[in-house]
Amino acid sequence: MQQFLEIISKPDNIPIVLLLVSVIFFTWLAWAKAKKNDSQQIPEEAKMDDKVQVWPYLVRMEFLMSIVVMAVLVVWSVFLDAPLEEPANRALTPNPSKAPWYFLGLQELLVYFDPWIAGVVLPTLIIIGLMAIPYVDINEKGNGYYTFKERKFAILTFCFGFLILWVALIVLGTFMRGPGWNFFWPWEKWDPHYVAVLTNVDLSEMIGIPTRLPDNSLNPVAFLFGGVLVFGFYSLIPIYWMMKRKTEIMKKLGPLRYNIVAFLFLTMVGLVIKILLRLGPPILGLNPVKYVWVTPWFNI
Amino acid sequence: MLTQLRDQFRKTEVYKSIFRHSYQDTQRNRALQIVDNVFLHLHPVRVPRHATNLGYTWGMGGITFLLFIVLTITGVILMFYYRPTAQYAYEDMKYLMNDVPFGPLIRNMHRWAAHAMVLTVMLHMFRVFLTGSYKPPRQFNWVIGVILLVLTLLLSFSGYLLPWDQLAIWAVTVGTNMARATPLLGHEGPFGPELGLRPDNDVRFVLLGGTEVGPPTLLRFYVGHCIFLPLIATIFMIVHFWRVRKDGGISGPPPGKNNF
Amino acid sequence: MADQPTNETVHTLTPAPPAASHAARISETPLPRKPKQDRAPEDDPGIWRMSRRNILWVGGWLAFFGFIVTSTIGALRYMFPRVLFEPPTKFKAGRPEDYVVGEVSEKFKDEKRVWIVREREGFYAIIAICTHLGCTPRWLPSDNKFKCPCHGSGFYKTGINFEGPAPRPLERAYVGIADDGQLEIDRSVKFLYEKGEWGKPGSFLEYKG
Repeated sequence: MQQFLEIISKPDNIPIVLLLVSVIFFTWLAWAKAKKNDSQQIPEEAKMDDKVQVWPYLVRMEFLMSIVVMAVLVVWSVFLDAPLEEPANRALTPNPSKAPWYFLGLQELLVYFDPWIAGVVLPTLIIIGLMAIPYVDINEKGNGYYTFKERKFAILTFCFGFLILWVALIVLGTFMRGPGWNFFWPWEKWDPHYVAVLTNVDLSEMIGIPTRLPDNSLNPVAFLFGGVLVFGFYSLIPIYWMMKRKTEIMKKLGPLRYNIVAFLFLTMVGLVIKILLRLGPPILGLNPVKYVWVTPWFNI
Repeated sequence: MLTQLRDQFRKTEVYKSIFRHSYQDTQRNRALQIVDNVFLHLHPVRVPRHATNLGYTWGMGGITFLLFIVLTITGVILMFYYRPTAQYAYEDMKYLMNDVPFGPLIRNMHRWAAHAMVLTVMLHMFRVFLTGSYKPPRQFNWVIGVILLVLTLLLSFSGYLLPWDQLAIWAVTVGTNMARATPLLGHEGPFGPELGLRPDNDVRFVLLGGTEVGPPTLLRFYVGHCIFLPLIATIFMIVHFWRVRKDGGISGPPPGKNNF
Repeated sequence: MADQPTNETVHTLTPAPPAASHAARISETPLPRKPKQDRAPEDDPGIWRMSRRNILWVGGWLAFFGFIVTSTIGALRYMFPRVLFEPPTKFKAGRPEDYVVGEVSEKFKDEKRVWIVREREGFYAIIAICTHLGCTPRWLPSDNKFKCPCHGSGFYKTGINFEGPAPRPLERAYVGIADDGQLEIDRSVKFLYEKGEWGKPGSFLEYKG
C-alpha cells in the first residue's frame, strides 16, 4: 500500500492522477447537465442565447483563466522537479519500462495483440474513426447542448472508448503494471522476482486442434478454424444490415455510413472480446488464449 | 496633476496613433476594443451568453492554446542550453538542472505544461463530443481537431527523448519499435519481409535515422520537436481557430426557442 | 457605424439584430465559360486532335505533379544516408575454452547485445533483443530463462518463447571460429527459428572442449 502511494505521488505520475480526477469530475458535470436538459423542454444553453459583448465578458474570463492556469503551472513547477534518470544505456532496460503515460493504453493492448495490431492498426483506426464521427453521426439532435436522451448510442460508444479503453487502461498501465509488466493490486508490493505462470494457447488448441503440425508447419485445419471465426465475426455486418435494412434509421444512414460504423464498432467489440479471452480462462482454471487466428503472415 | 499629465499624454499624436479609440465605456468602444486589436480580433464582437459559461465550455480549448504558447516560450529558452547530440544532451540537462539559475523552473514548466496540454486536449475533445459540437456545420473543424490531437501527442512524444536519460531512451524504444511491425512498411510487419524490407530501409529507419535508437535519432527528434511539428501544428491551429469563426462561432443550440 | 463615439446604450446584454452576411449577397451562379479560341478542327485524327492549349494544360499539370512527386521521393530518400556510423556487427569473443559448459555468458550483452551460450555440444549466440518490442531481456539463472522487463515475455535458454506476448523466439547470430582460434560472432547474420534456420551452418558451432 505504501508503495502504491509512492507510485501515485511520483512527479511524472501527477498528470495521470489529474487525468483521473478531472475525467471523473467532467463526466459527472456533463451527466448532471444532460440530465437537467433532458428533463425540460428547452436546454439550459438555449436559454442563454442572448448575446453579450466579448469585451469585457469573454476577455475577462480568458484573462482570469490564464492567470489561474499560469499560477498553478508555476507552483507545480517550483515544487516538483521533472525527472532526470541515469544517462541513456542501451544495454540496461529498466524494469518495468513504460511508454509516456498517454500511450500506456496502447502499451497495455500490446499484452493482448501483436505489435502490428496494437501499435499500428488500432491507433490508425482510432484516428480514422474519430475523424469519421461527424460524417457518420447523422443524428441532427443534440447539436450544441448537453443531452443523453437524444443520442444514447453515440454517447455510450464514445464514453466506453474514451473512459474505459483509453483512460482506464492508462490508469491501469501506470499504477498496476509492475516489473515484467505483471499485474499488481494497489496493496501488493512490486516484486521484481514475481513469476506469473502464463502458458498461452491458441484458441484452436483449446478445443483440441493443434496450431502446428509435428513438422512445425501450420495446421490447415487450425488456419481455417481461425479464419472462419474472424470472418464470421465481421459477417455480422451484412447480416445485421439484411435484418434491419428496411428500418427508417438504416435508410437514412445508407450502406457506406453503415459499413463504416459497423466495422469500427465491431472492431472495438472484438478488441474487448480478445482481452476477455486472455483474462477470462484463468479464472475458470484454463489457459489464456494467445491467438484466435494464426496465418503464415500475421496472427490475430 | 497626474490626471492632467495623463490627459495631456492622451492627446499626443503618438498615443493616438497607437490607441485609435477612447476608452470610454460605450457599446462602440467595446466593439472597437476587439476589432481594432490584432490579437483580440480572433474573437467576434459579441458572443452568445453561454460562451462565457465555464460549465458549458470547460475552457479547455483556450487553456490548450495558452499552454502551447507557454511551451513555445519555455522551449525556446531551453534551447539556449541544450545541444542535441548524444555526447552532450545529458550533460546539458544536468547543467541546466544544477547550475543554471531558474533552469529547473523553466524545464519543469516545459514538461508539466506538455503533460497538461495532452490532458486539456483530451478534455476539450470530450466536451466537444458531449455537446455534439462536431455536427453540421462544424464537421471539418472536428477533423482538424483530431489532426491537432495527433500532432500534440507527436510533439510530446518527440520531446520525451531529448533528455537522453534511461526514461527517455526506453520509452522511445518501446514506442518506435511498434513502427517495425507496420503492415507493408515495417521489416517485421505483415508482408514486410516479403517486400524486401530490412531494419535499414523501413519506416522505422525514417524515424530513427539508424537501426536502433541512437545519436541520429536524437537529432531527428530534436528537429521534429523544435521546428517541424510546431510549424505544422501552428498551421493547423490557424485553420482551427479560423474555422471556429467561419462555422458560426461557438457551438450552441439552434437559435430561437421554437426549435424545441 | 458613425465616426463619432455614441453614448446610446451602455447596456450590453441586449441581443443584437442579426447582420446580413456578406456571402449571402454574392450570387452563386457560375460565371459563363469563355469560348475556347483555338479549338482543333473537328476532322483532325488521333493525338493531333489536342489543341495547343490542351497540350499546354496537360503538360503543365504533368510537370507540376511530377515535380511534387519527385520532390517527395527525394525528401524521403534524403532520410536514408548511404553510410551509417553504427558499431561493427562482427566481433571476436575470446577463446572457446574460457566458457563454462551450461552457462549463459553476459560478457558481450552490454556492448554488443549478444549472449553466448555454451552447451555440451557447442556454442550458440542469442541476440539480446526481445522479439516483441525490442527491449533487452534479462537472463535469470535461477529460473533458467530470459525474461523481458517490458511486457513480461519469457524465453527458454535456447531462445524459444514460452510466455508473454513475444510472437516468436529470440534470434540467433552467426557464431564461428576465427583464424586465431577465437570465437567469432556476427550480429548481422541472423538465424530465425520460425523459418527453420537454426539448423543451418553458423547458427550453432559444434565444439567439444
